[in-house]
Amino acid sequence: MATRRTFLKLASLKLAGAAGLAVPSLASAQGAGRVVVVGGGFGGATAARTLKQLDAKLTVTLVEPNPVYTACPFSNSVLANLREISQQQFRYDAVKAAGVAVAETSATAVDTQARTVTLADGTQLPYDRLVLSPGIDFDWGAIPGYDEAAAQKMPHAWKAGAQTVLLRQQLQDMRDGGLVVMSSPANPFRCPPGPYERAGLIAYWMSIWKPKSKLLLLDSKDTFSKQRLFQDGWAQLYPGTIEWVPLSKGGKVTSVDPATLTLVTEFGSHKADVANVIPPQKAGAIAAKAGVADRTGWCPVEPVAFESTLQRGIHVLGDAAIMGAMPKSAFAANAQAKVCAAAIVELLAGRTPQPPLLINTCYSLLAADYGISIASVYRPDKGLLADIPGAGGVSPLTAVGGLRGQEALYAASWFRTITAETFG
Amino acid sequence: MGRLLLSVLALALLSGGPAQAADAPPGASSCTGCHAPLKVTDSVIPRIAGRKAADIVTFMREYRSGAWPSSVMGRIAKGFDDQQTEAIAAWFAAQPE
Ligand SMILES: Cc1cc2nc3c(=O)[nH]c(=O)nc-3n(C[C@H](O)[C@H](O)[C@H](O)COP(=O)(O)OP(=O)(O)OC[C@H]3O[C@@H](n4cnc5c(N)ncnc54)[C@H](O)[C@@H]3O)c2cc1C
Ligand code: HEC
Repeated sequence: MATRRTFLKLASLKLAGAAGLAVPSLASAQGAGRVVVVGGGFGGATAARTLKQLDAKLTVTLVEPNPVYTACPFSNSVLANLREISQQQFRYDAVKAAGVAVAETSATAVDTQARTVTLADGTQLPYDRLVLSPGIDFDWGAIPGYDEAAAQKMPHAWKAGAQTVLLRQQLQDMRDGGLVVMSSPANPFRCPPGPYERAGLIAYWMSIWKPKSKLLLLDSKDTFSKQRLFQDGWAQLYPGTIEWVPLSKGGKVTSVDPATLTLVTEFGSHKADVANVIPPQKAGAIAAKAGVADRTGWCPVEPVAFESTLQRGIHVLGDAAIMGAMPKSAFAANAQAKVCAAAIVELLAGRTPQPPLLINTCYSLLAADYGISIASVYRPDKGLLADIPGAGGVSPLTAVGGLRGQEALYAASWFRTITAETFG
Repeated sequence: MGRLLLSVLALALLSGGPAQAADAPPGASSCTGCHAPLKVTDSVIPRIAGRKAADIVTFMREYRSGAWPSSVMGRIAKGFDDQQTEAIAAWFAAQPE
């Protein structure tokens, strides 16, 4: 027993010594670990912090080019002037304080044979386990006419930051009586209720500042998340303001003209005063470079440790991954990251991680004091995360006792809690 | 057996706090997305870390049956059976308040 204890102490000493970035460490030979995490969003930052918290001996490097992360949840409230963009912004100080090495640059390549990640400055980071949580990239060109230049005229505001501020400015500059046209993509995409929350909050803001204005929501789908709740709420709060055009009624946008702010559908064309195009999406580009994205553009993973089914040793989290029934949300990315971190600790120790249970909840606002939610509980089933039957569902259609106001408060508390857990 | 002893030892040697998330039962790490593990200023969602396990179990059972009203917990509690709920409750009870 004494000898085992000594051995353990020795092992951890050696690990601590090998904890430098560039030093090719002996850790893997000794069965412990270097984990590289690419992407410092809800998935990646949570994974990095949790790994360090679970096993202080791990060498954890977080690769993220932006010193400041701008969170998407609640960014629709920024559009409605209910929040400032600065309230969406988070730094990595607490992540660093937790002992995570933060490399402030992009990952540009992954060598799955040598198990190294190449950074933009040429540095090679060796890994025993790699976690990719790069979020989304836009499928530029999927809508003819919509490219990065067009996004300066017709913002997507689907990555929060400068785009959010641009769209808000355009709304504020719009004449009263103007037409806002939004377009929403087919599934799957980041934050399924997001476009509808945005439509409601823009209508909320217009009801105060531009009461003669209207919003047209062109959709590439015939149904959407929390649909009855949204549509009932819009009708009650903003009668006649929001018109939703489903796929079957010509909602699919087939091309855009940024010069004239025109959105063309199969059934006609719409000239906007403000145009918000939410384009089709795919996993962040590094996923394809690492060989973990399939033909859909997203990353298939197994449902216990979220390890890629295409490349061993690479775990994919959050929006980039195909998570079965679990939607692409910040709540989900954070929950997956905690499960993944615990599983990686087990795997590095040569143990088998136990099958997880996960929760997702997405709150949406229709007004400052009007919140609704959708929740589900998931378990692995036939190689995918599946809904547990009988659990989950949406807020009741009939709200009693100030429930909508209560859910708006809970939504704000959720945001403070999850950002504290992710970024400190 | 030797392996088990070794990992118990490793835990004793290396874990910082009383109950590390490593031994968190399935589902528990999702609860903390709403129920902050550490004191977050200004959250109206009640804290459950450090609460009596039996009380957490009671809440979860009553939410699940619908006997106690809730905004979201009824929908969440229905995803956990008695055994899973008890494991989660015991884990939260062991967390620092
Ligand atoms: C308007 C809107 C509202 C939303 N509201 C909600 C909500 O209310 N609730 C909710 O749960 N979710 C919401 N979401 C969804 C949520 O924002 C995403 O699901 C979440 O951010 C996904 O986390 P992630 O870690 O997968 O990606 P991200 O958070 O996008 O993080 C990815 C990170 O990876 C970095 N990165 C990418 N490529 C590289 C590379 N090669 N090298 C290094 N770093 C790289 C990026 O810079 C980025 O910081 C909303 C989204 C939008 C657009
Ligand atoms: C989406 C956010 C969310 C998640 C996830 C969540 N809770 Fe809750 N919890 C709440 C809210 C909000 C309340 C207040 C009751 C309500 O309105 O649902 C609550 C109340 C509770 C209470 C009662 C506490 C008290 O003092 O009144 C317990 C116990 C509880 N939750 C346990 C859990 C457990 C265990 C999990 C994980 C399996 C969990 N919760 C996941 C939001 C959440």
